Amino acid sequence: MRARRFGTVIGLGVLCAVLWALTPHFLTVSNLLNVAQQTSINAIVAVGMTFVIVSGGIDLSVGSIVALSGVVLGALLQGGQPLAVALAAALAVGLGCGLLNGALVSVGGLPPFIATLGMMSVARGAALVFTEGRPVSGFDEGFRSLATGAIGFVPAPVVVMIGVYMAAHVVLTRTTFGRYVYAIGGNEEATRLSGVAVRFHKTAIYGVSGVMSAIAAIVLTARLNSAQPIAGTMYELDAIAATVIGGTSLMGGEGTLAGTLVGALIMGVLRNGLNLLGVSSFLQQIVIGGVIVGAVLVDTVLKRHRV
Amino acid sequence: MTPVLEMHGIRKAFPGVVALDGVDLTLHRGEVHMLLGENGAGKSTLMKILSGAYRKDQGRIVVDGKDVEIQSPRDALALGIRVIYQELNLIPHLSVAENIFLGAAPTHRFGVIDWRRLSAATSQLLTDLGMNLSPDTPLGQLSLAQRQMVEIAKALKGQASILVMDEPTSALTSREVDQLFALIARLTERGVAIVYITHRLDEVYRIGQRVSVLRDGRRVTTQPLSDVTVAELVRLMANREVGDHFPKQRTTPGKELLRVEGLGRRGALSDISFCLRAGEVVGIAGLLGAGRSELARVIAGADRSDSGTIQCDGQATNFRTPADAIRRGIGLLPEDRKAEGLVAGLTVARNTALPHGRRLARSGFLPRGCEERLAEPIVKDLRVKATPTQEVRLLSGGNQQKVVLGKWLAGDAHIFIFDEPTRGVDVGAKIEIYNLMNRLTASGAGIIMISSELPELLGMSDRILVMCRGRIRAEFSAADATQERVLSAALGLAS
Repeated sequence: MRARRFGTVIGLGVLCAVLWALTPHFLTVSNLLNVAQQTSINAIVAVGMTFVIVSGGIDLSVGSIVALSGVVLGALLQGGQPLAVALAAALAVGLGCGLLNGALVSVGGLPPFIATLGMMSVARGAALVFTEGRPVSGFDEGFRSLATGAIGFVPAPVVVMIGVYMAAHVVLTRTTFGRYVYAIGGNEEATRLSGVAVRFHKTAIYGVSGVMSAIAAIVLTARLNSAQPIAGTMYELDAIAATVIGGTSLMGGEGTLAGTLVGALIMGVLRNGLNLLGVSSFLQQIVIGGVIVGAVLVDTVLKRHRV
Repeated sequence: MTPVLEMHGIRKAFPGVVALDGVDLTLHRGEVHMLLGENGAGKSTLMKILSGAYRKDQGRIVVDGKDVEIQSPRDALALGIRVIYQELNLIPHLSVAENIFLGAAPTHRFGVIDWRRLSAATSQLLTDLGMNLSPDTPLGQLSLAQRQMVEIAKALKGQASILVMDEPTSALTSREVDQLFALIARLTERGVAIVYITHRLDEVYRIGQRVSVLRDGRRVTTQPLSDVTVAELVRLMANREVGDHFPKQRTTPGKELLRVEGLGRRGALSDISFCLRAGEVVGIAGLLGAGRSELARVIAGADRSDSGTIQCDGQATNFRTPADAIRRGIGLLPEDRKAEGLVAGLTVARNTALPHGRRLARSGFLPRGCEERLAEPIVKDLRVKATPTQEVRLLSGGNQQKVVLGKWLAGDAHIFIFDEPTRGVDVGAKIEIYNLMNRLTASGAGIIMISSELPELLGMSDRILVMCRGRIRAEFSAADATQERVLSAALGLAS
């Protein structure tokens, strides 16, 4: 476990060193803050994904929930609602979608892939219907400071990301809920026979994922100064990639948020570096795909030797 | 004659444990070689090295006089080494022939399966092995023993010279065991060498020629079975004299803990009534499929009943979930501990604490180290060979069983359901489990014990209920019960 986490950190270090050697712009404070800021949204979504994958599931609907939460938020802000009400509504939308996913999986007995695939389409459709396909743009300074503000020199999105990671890490490692996430992913029947309310907790796990999507939606909307019904497309794949690069097993039962954060940073640094190097966005996709497969391959080989 | 297999000085270490420390094993053509040892003695590890599942750290393996390196299961197969595990690897929807030749079926050009040749080859193989099975039967229609025969046939197609069998009889009826042993005799006549792992000492003498005993990763002895007695074998395995196999201590039954009236579950149980008193062990006998485990699961809240009532401590209950049953003080040790008893990837302490999260937590948060503090005395008390921070998957079967027990001992359970508590557990650990049952009953707990081992059931129970096809057929007091009477009731014969 420790050796593997170390492996991804080394991978991130090597990646940074290579980029530093190739382009002087990479290792500047402003660029690094930029990377952290760009990474923050995927990293926040990946927190929820980590909960779900550790519990043995998958959540394909995160990107669509980002869009739906975002447009609800945008519409309420433009309608003149107080910031607190709009934020609460966005979080409630995320939570509701997540809980619905969870109920379909745990009570309805659907495979997580199918339940969240359905939600992926329904939430996206709902976002498009709600906005009639048009973006909701232009918000006041107060709300936008969630993206443009900073504490000291740390940009607000990065502050949010760090806060989310610290809170989620405590939940995953120090609470009964966190224990049950690992136990359910490791052996659901044994966990049930130990008297754990498996259905309740599974539902809650997808709820966490929905809330994380909503938080990501808030940061994204503030950053773009616009809520778009087509936002968040493919976010599920980035979040799964960050989680898996971070050493979480798709079989469930193991994984850490520290790993996921490093995984998200690897993806962010790679994108940023390829941009700085002027690599075309078409070619970038090939490189990123290769890195995802390569990282997991190394992990799998290491695991095989560990026995 | 050169031995078909020689293993010299095999060493294998895992993080924190030396599983094998210089073990030798020699195997001759046509012999049945019994491999004995407590759980964790290193039998499985040795066989996994032979089959290529693990790689050895040190040592030499010689097959037919030639040094070999077994790096993968493929290498082992090429050397004619075959292993039959306790869990069968067959596909129920496919026919006997398809299962046997899975991935190796004769084909026409372009990979289309040649059904005629497949059927012929299967018939030939089955006849050769003296198995009375039709190649076209879907596997799902076969009994467990027949499936095992298919697994053996599958293993023996092609050139097999060494066959490893890991507790092949643990789920078989005695007639099925006879069939299996007849097959083993035919195989040895053809020169196949067999390594046979078992915990049933009666089998050792029925079919074995030589025996090797492992203890704590070392080989203690290898000798012809004609030179060694059962008592000696037990002493070699456990390294301690086992006086009484069943150290039963009787307690005067106290107040009623559990009363079951007219319990039924469609297709599994009908009209089950009995009671359990404090200080009592009620044994439940029956053949496979008689409904014993189903009854255990209903009482433990794992499955719902369709009819009837369950009273705990004189109060009516209605278990909707296992949590309801646990709250009433019921603790289940399931038959299949890996699938239902433990989360293999979690530590000993976290498994122990799993049912007690609510009690340990302070508004949802687990105080640092609270699980370890809960598990520590239990691990020590049950003599689990592990630390609380070790992952359960690294433990041997006997130690895993103790962890399942520990889960309930950490709470306030006083009605225990032991479903096959000593299956796959070595002699020493068995006695520890019996002593623990004594301790529980002495402290006022009641135990329902399900077991397929009649001597154990007769030795440890105060009363015995016999189940057959979902019903209770007979009840015996400890004094009246004999193996013959229990067995004939289990078979549904009039007693």
